[in-house]
Amino acid sequence: MTLSIAKPLIRRHAEIGIFLIGAILVVIFASTSDGKWANLYNIGTILQVTATLGLMSLGVALVIGTGEIDISVGSTFGMGALAYLWLAAHVDPSLAAVAAVAVGAAIGLINGLLVTRTGTPSLIITLGTLMIFRGIAIALTEGFSFSVPYAARKGWAYFGLGGGEFLGFNTALYWLIIVLVILMVMLKAMPFGNRLLAVGGSAESAHSRGVRVSRIKLSAFVLCGVLAAFAGTLEAGKLGFADGSMGRLMELQAIASCVLGGCLLAGGRVSLIGALMGAFVLSSIQSYLVVTGVRPQWFILILGLIVVIAAYGDRSLRQWALRK
Amino acid sequence: MKQLVRSQGFGAIIGVVAMLVVFTLIDFSGWWTNQTVANVSQFTAILAFVAMGQALVIMTKEIDLSVGSVYGLAGVAFITLEPALGVPGSFVLALAIAALVGFLQAIAVVKGELPSMIVTLGGLFAARGIIYVWTGGSVHNFSPAARSHPMTRLLGGELFGIDAAILWLITVAAILGLLLWATPFGNRLLATGGSRESAESRGVRTDRIKIAAFILCSLLAGFAGILTLCNQPQTHVTLGENMELEAIAAAVIGGCLLTGGRGSILGAILGALIVVSFRYELIALGAPSSWYITFIGAVLIVAVIFNQKLARFLGHSA
Amino acid sequence: MTNTHPLIQVKNLDLHFGAFHALKNVSVDFHAGELIGLVGDNGAGKTTLIRVLCGIYAPSSGEVFFDGKKIEKFHPKLAIDQGIETIQQSVGLCDNLSIARNFYLGREPVKRILGIPFLDFAKMREKSTRVIRQFGLRDNVSADDEVERLSGGERQSVKIGRAVEFMNRVVIMDEPTNHLSVREREHVNELAVQLKEQGLLVIYITHDIFQVHKLADRVVIMENGAKVADASTDAMTAEELEEVIRQGGRLVEKREAV
Repeated sequence: MTLSIAKPLIRRHAEIGIFLIGAILVVIFASTSDGKWANLYNIGTILQVTATLGLMSLGVALVIGTGEIDISVGSTFGMGALAYLWLAAHVDPSLAAVAAVAVGAAIGLINGLLVTRTGTPSLIITLGTLMIFRGIAIALTEGFSFSVPYAARKGWAYFGLGGGEFLGFNTALYWLIIVLVILMVMLKAMPFGNRLLAVGGSAESAHSRGVRVSRIKLSAFVLCGVLAAFAGTLEAGKLGFADGSMGRLMELQAIASCVLGGCLLAGGRVSLIGALMGAFVLSSIQSYLVVTGVRPQWFILILGLIVVIAAYGDRSLRQWALRK
Repeated sequence: MKQLVRSQGFGAIIGVVAMLVVFTLIDFSGWWTNQTVANVSQFTAILAFVAMGQALVIMTKEIDLSVGSVYGLAGVAFITLEPALGVPGSFVLALAIAALVGFLQAIAVVKGELPSMIVTLGGLFAARGIIYVWTGGSVHNFSPAARSHPMTRLLGGELFGIDAAILWLITVAAILGLLLWATPFGNRLLATGGSRESAESRGVRTDRIKIAAFILCSLLAGFAGILTLCNQPQTHVTLGENMELEAIAAAVIGGCLLTGGRGSILGAILGALIVVSFRYELIALGAPSSWYITFIGAVLIVAVIFNQKLARFLGHSA
Repeated sequence: MTNTHPLIQVKNLDLHFGAFHALKNVSVDFHAGELIGLVGDNGAGKTTLIRVLCGIYAPSSGEVFFDGKKIEKFHPKLAIDQGIETIQQSVGLCDNLSIARNFYLGREPVKRILGIPFLDFAKMREKSTRVIRQFGLRDNVSADDEVERLSGGERQSVKIGRAVEFMNRVVIMDEPTNHLSVREREHVNELAVQLKEQGLLVIYITHDIFQVHKLADRVVIMENGAKVADASTDAMTAEELEEVIRQGGRLVEKREAV
């Protein structure tokens, strides 16, 4: 009886599943880690990781919303970080961040143009660009060092871009909240969002109603690149240095966050807040493994299993909710 | 002529010819020396196994991103289990592990009705994670006794002056080619990728076909991993990293359409030859190894776009 | 009526999809205030032809004139902006969106706050609710419901309602009575005649020869991607029309020759 009341709610809000999972995990983690997990410092760390992964996941969610996929974000994240660090040592960090974001936009533009102009599967195209920019990132870091000298790690702009804390939390978290609000408004309350979801729901129908499908997809890829590079900027700001492998495997975590959060891979259904919650759950698991002394190698195995289980759970829940 | 152009491996044949001409004309590193030819053909054979398996899966309109990890996992299993089980025993068990990974992924795709991309992306990480957890990140070596075991030498040495891997490739490719073009299974496999509804309406159990394709793909990847270790009996946890990309690139260069229903075994082998040759040439040129990753990414994109255009030009619905 | 210049003029239209020749040298005129029946077997090219007219496909060669002006760029947006509304058979609604969002897809009403365009939800809801009630959707269906939950007939009603709301020159109906009950069918057919009488051009695709004979002023018959006949319905009975379709237009040519 109570379950049947939940049906329409779940049908509309696919992210309910991940909120339940998140709540259960928080309780389990807090009660089994002897205070090592549930303390302010650790939660702050988790939220910082959630912020960078979350920004990336929001971008991926937009692309998934159009029915495409972007797995190049891990490399875009790395390129954004490198661009920021390289410039932040010479110019004002805010200018460096703008440049890093521009690099992300360019990568997104390349992805988007290749996908929309040639009509090839985005999986393969972005798999290709994932490798292209990973190779470039490694090549760059082999020749130069990418770090901001300690003396230069100061000033409002540097602290504001992930390099400091505000009210006890890394500034990346506040950026995440700002971006989330903007994107949610865009997606739900602006014509662009309506068209983006329509393209993912049925590109053919959207086209027949005069929506410029290619342009919408292109914008989604560019936004995704921008967010991934910005996430890289914030991470670089926190660390102050980067190497060529920065952001490796993050593309998988971002996709996992989206799937966990109730974004339908076929497109048309997106939950931004769900994707964020997915990022939070993944960061929490990772942190739990670290604080309880489990070898970090387990994370990669668990991550792989979570992706498949999440995809299956999401599907089952949705099917159940759609049944009359 | 039209017939030839329409054959799925055509792009790859053109590519191989063009590549060989260029490498012969601009000869940086002594392309036609015994050393180069032996190395390139050895690596090609290994990659070709993985690429052929990938091609089978792509023909059913799915994709298997886990092959690199399965390749590594089978290799690591083979070398880790050898002290306990001996060479033949660990060979069988390593292949069984590979087949099991393929089977589990196939079940998730077919019964769970999940996109193969997500399932095998998960498989890619799960299998790699198992390697890390199992080995604890350390390097393994074959014992001298295992190295001289007849089976190791049959799989990894030279037979009649030719690398065993190449002979194995020719054998397996011939069997797969026959399976694909001359058996009901092959017909059904292509039908499954071409139009699943139509295949099902004709009574084809497309779920079983897909399961078979995934298992074959994992088996071939696992076999390639074992062959690699028989040849160079030392392994590391990163064995097979990025190999899924090379395999997909090779299959796509070889004329597999990602829209399913078309592909070629010969094409996959030629695709592998192109990928490996370029890798060799880049190394010979002294380019840093990181550029190779960039290069494979670029080749993948160019190949997939080229194939798409070729297919449209020929009037296939792609 | 027919002595004015045609509203849509199609000249020597060809369309290839790869090796497939979908439209072969099609020339046809459509006038305002006409109800045209477009008939032919499955795969004859009817739907392909109207998809060119509504901008979904661009022709490989040939010309299309709208109101005397040559159409240079083909895109559904341009067609809709010119007042050509199309009720497509299988496309047109996105399952994942609400009725109101589907209704205004591509031309969403906005309220600007600080120059930023926000969806005008009140207007979207109010207008689409009125239209779906008018076209007979159940009372318990609201404009906020996702299209996914609608039946075939309800979906068709949403598409028809939307077309009527936005059209001002041309309405193209691709098998509009599919999925509809007898009563709803009559309603749609009456609507087609009404629209014609208001001076719109109505192009009506159907398989039902008796229906089209009753409704249409003129029938255009297609076969294998080519136009094979173009005749006034006054000139023949429904049985003769059926015979023409079966014969692939040869009969008409004979009659015209006589």
